[in-house]
Amino acid sequence: METQSIVSVADAITAASAAYDALAELAEDVEDEWSYVTDLADAWRERLAEVADARGHEPAGDGVAEAVAILSAEVGAIDDPHRAIDWLSTFPQVLLVAVGENP
Amino acid sequence: MRFQDAAPDARAVVYAGIQADPLVARAATLLADASFEQRVLARAAMNGMSTDPVVWRSMFPRLFGSSSAAGGVRDRSDAILEVALAVAERGEQVRSQVRGAIVESLTELLVRRRSGIAAPGPSGPSGATVRRERRILFDGVRAEIHPYDVTVEAPGASEAIDCKWGARGINADVLHQLDDARTHAADEDESLAASLVVFDARRSCDVRLARQTAPHERTRIVALETLDELAR
Repeated sequence: METQSIVSVADAITAASAAYDALAELAEDVEDEWSYVTDLADAWRERLAEVADARGHEPAGDGVAEAVAILSAEVGAIDDPHRAIDWLSTFPQVLLVAVGENP
Repeated sequence: MRFQDAAPDARAVVYAGIQADPLVARAATLLADASFEQRVLARAAMNGMSTDPVVWRSMFPRLFGSSSAAGGVRDRSDAILEVALAVAERGEQVRSQVRGAIVESLTELLVRRRSGIAAPGPSGPSGATVRRERRILFDGVRAEIHPYDVTVEAPGASEAIDCKWGARGINADVLHQLDDARTHAADEDESLAASLVVFDARRSCDVRLARQTAPHERTRIVALETLDELAR
């Protein structure tokens, strides 16, 4: 989904999902943490899906489309899998804060 | 049960230098009165790739957008972003150490807000003191090598606190050390609470803890959302 077409909370979460998936794939390179990484990503995807179900129809809010684009670009620049693990937790927190939701 | 300063070994000397960095104190002071959103901003920017403040202001529209609160809240957001980017601009290894020191300093500041605890120096009105880098010794028990990050030393209400930047830092060693302190204290009929402060979301902590077999049921986990509970 193009970020220009983000209108609703569900749009924002959908638009961010590709960057999050790529981040999780990079984090999986840390073999000792593979199980943790997959569990962590699943837990946050579940939370984002909950928010999309509950508030997906609501307007995304001012600046959210740009925030999603910049957040996605920021994690797209990460090339260290250890930093990617840290951002697997940070990314959804930033996204949820942007749409006015708690983690 | 008794408390003791950590041995001034090479690690302690190096780490003391990091803890004394004015950037650590400034960040901790700002974060002590920050909102949850501002703490997420700090967490993100301190471990980000970009050090351009425009990027981070755009990423947090509720803190910096046209509809964001003006005045003190906006000023604090700006100050937190500035200090977070100053941390990020350090080298990779240094910023990791600085982040850890910030979480410890923030924890100390919040714990000092509890009633009955005085400013740094002699004990407060209830006899309580808050200290950093302290070991806890028990009769007949070999002392742990690593000191606790923060301790509350008070008759009948002591607490051992360790701090982590992220949920990934939760491991068997820290969980065992905290639980061991609590159980050894109980063996001496002393009360010692064990807490682990994690500058990360509770959800991430729960995922990490679910994979741990080390005892942690009686260790209080203080996550990013509940940091202010340290002051109570």
